[in-house]
Amino acid sequence: MVDISGLTHDYGEVVALRDLDLQIPSGITGLVGANGAGKTTLLRLLLGLLHPTAGNISVLGHDPQTNPLDVRARIGYMPEVDCLPKDQTAADFVAYAAQLAGIPRREAKRRSSETLFLVGLEEERFRYLGDFSTGMQQRVKLAQAIVHDPDLVLLDEPASGLDPEGRVQMLRLIRRLGDFDIDVIVSSHVLTDIEQTCGWVVMLDGGDLLRNGPLEGFDELGTVVVEVIEHAEEVATALRSQGYETSVDGRRLVVGPGDHEIEKAVVTAAASTDAGLVRMVRGSSSLEDLFLAKDELS
Amino acid sequence: MTDQIIFDRGYRTYDGPRSGPSGARNAVFWEGLRRVLGLGRKARYKIFPWSLIAIAVIAAAVFVGLHWAIGDIAESVGEGIPSYGGLFDFYSAISLLFIAFAAPQLLIPDRTMGVLSVYFSRPLTVDGYLTSKVGAFATLIGAFYIVPQLVLHIGLSLISDDGFIPYLTDNLDILWKVPVTTLAFVALHGALVFTLAAVINRTGIAAAAFLGVLTAGSGIAMRVAEASFSGARWVSLLALDQHPRIIRDHLFEDTVDYPAEIAGFEVWMSVVVIAVLVLAGAAFVRQRYRRLA
Repeated sequence: MVDISGLTHDYGEVVALRDLDLQIPSGITGLVGANGAGKTTLLRLLLGLLHPTAGNISVLGHDPQTNPLDVRARIGYMPEVDCLPKDQTAADFVAYAAQLAGIPRREAKRRSSETLFLVGLEEERFRYLGDFSTGMQQRVKLAQAIVHDPDLVLLDEPASGLDPEGRVQMLRLIRRLGDFDIDVIVSSHVLTDIEQTCGWVVMLDGGDLLRNGPLEGFDELGTVVVEVIEHAEEVATALRSQGYETSVDGRRLVVGPGDHEIEKAVVTAAASTDAGLVRMVRGSSSLEDLFLAKDELS
Repeated sequence: MTDQIIFDRGYRTYDGPRSGPSGARNAVFWEGLRRVLGLGRKARYKIFPWSLIAIAVIAAAVFVGLHWAIGDIAESVGEGIPSYGGLFDFYSAISLLFIAFAAPQLLIPDRTMGVLSVYFSRPLTVDGYLTSKVGAFATLIGAFYIVPQLVLHIGLSLISDDGFIPYLTDNLDILWKVPVTTLAFVALHGALVFTLAAVINRTGIAAAAFLGVLTAGSGIAMRVAEASFSGARWVSLLALDQHPRIIRDHLFEDTVDYPAEIAGFEVWMSVVVIAVLVLAGAAFVRQRYRRLA
């Protein structure tokens, strides 16, 4: 879906992206990084709105630098910033967004109603956007991004500014896009959002690519936190003998990092030492932990 | 217990025609017309533009009525009622207000409300966007000038002693003089107001700046041009509002002396000034929006 090689982009002396090589497959992809990591710059490069300082980009088989209009005709974009005309109704604006993608007026109006229904705004579609709450505005922004049946949707911080309930609804909508065979790239600095929605993760930090791969693959560096009734030291010894790094703090052990075989080894070690296993959880498998452990990653 | 069905329309794919960049430009053009006229907006957005349009059309009808009612009397006492050129003059104040309102409405809300990020994620270039906006502006302002003139032309034809068809055929030159004069007004005012609306983020302030540059600026230029320092006559050209009027008077053979004419400039200099303003304004606005895209 997206193929990038040797991509560098700078704003004068500030390097936003540095020598990126990555391929993003179809599906829902999370673009993760702190503010200033280069996420929005990457999205704007994919749209052909910025020209890279060096390197090549292919989006849906097109080069956005040489054929930006061909690329944009097949992409939907939900900006992070405000992008809604407050004096227009939701139905009018979304229909207009469809017409901007070249869809005839009558069909645009029909699709506007259908898309607003999909995002849960069928009752409010004739209200003016200036009267909408933040959550409703975010949903209109999503609707304008998908109204023209794009092959790929770029969502820049879609859950930004939403309350917990609104965030859950937005993430649910994004997951649904995958069911409609629309490829999605979601940019976010909220890692739990990415964990809940994406099958593939691209991790950026200060313009560098930290990681690019399926979400499951990120577990391999995770540790497991274990609590036993007794014999914690014996359990630790048994695990160390199998090659797992293990630390002990009272009745609590931290094992790993390692793959999913850790859990099996812990169960075996606890059984062989009569330790009495109380609790076992993946302690550092979240993206957040991995992001904090970026030095190890890089 | 009754059966319940959860109905979900899902998402419908679209396999129909897509008009690409030309469709995007058309959409921007029509949306520009709707925005200026307040269509699809709350009632308060319609009051100002439609009031001005109503005044313009009613004024043309009044002109025709005057020609019909007292035209002969006025002519017999040597006081002809103003015709096409005079109507342009009469409209200048109303049209300036309409221009000052329309151009900021076309450019500023898109920018201040962030809608540009949606435009330029679609198959639309900066040039396509600006061309459509200028097209919407020219259509609206052109219609604002031409429709009342058309009403006057048809009205005068209907009340003519020579008859409808003979009057029309005897005055065929109106069919090109009115559009050329309109073009001169639209080009000069458009270049100026688009340049201001490209950098000012409040519609009211942009409108006031436009009116201020035309009125106060012209007044100052005229005063300076009367001074005796070398090159003072060139300053007379900065009285911008005179240039379309000079062209209008040249075409309709009216005789009012404007500062540039007093300073010895021919009509072609006004054409050059308008052309320079249009080119400079276009280059500036284009550069500004390329940075914003």
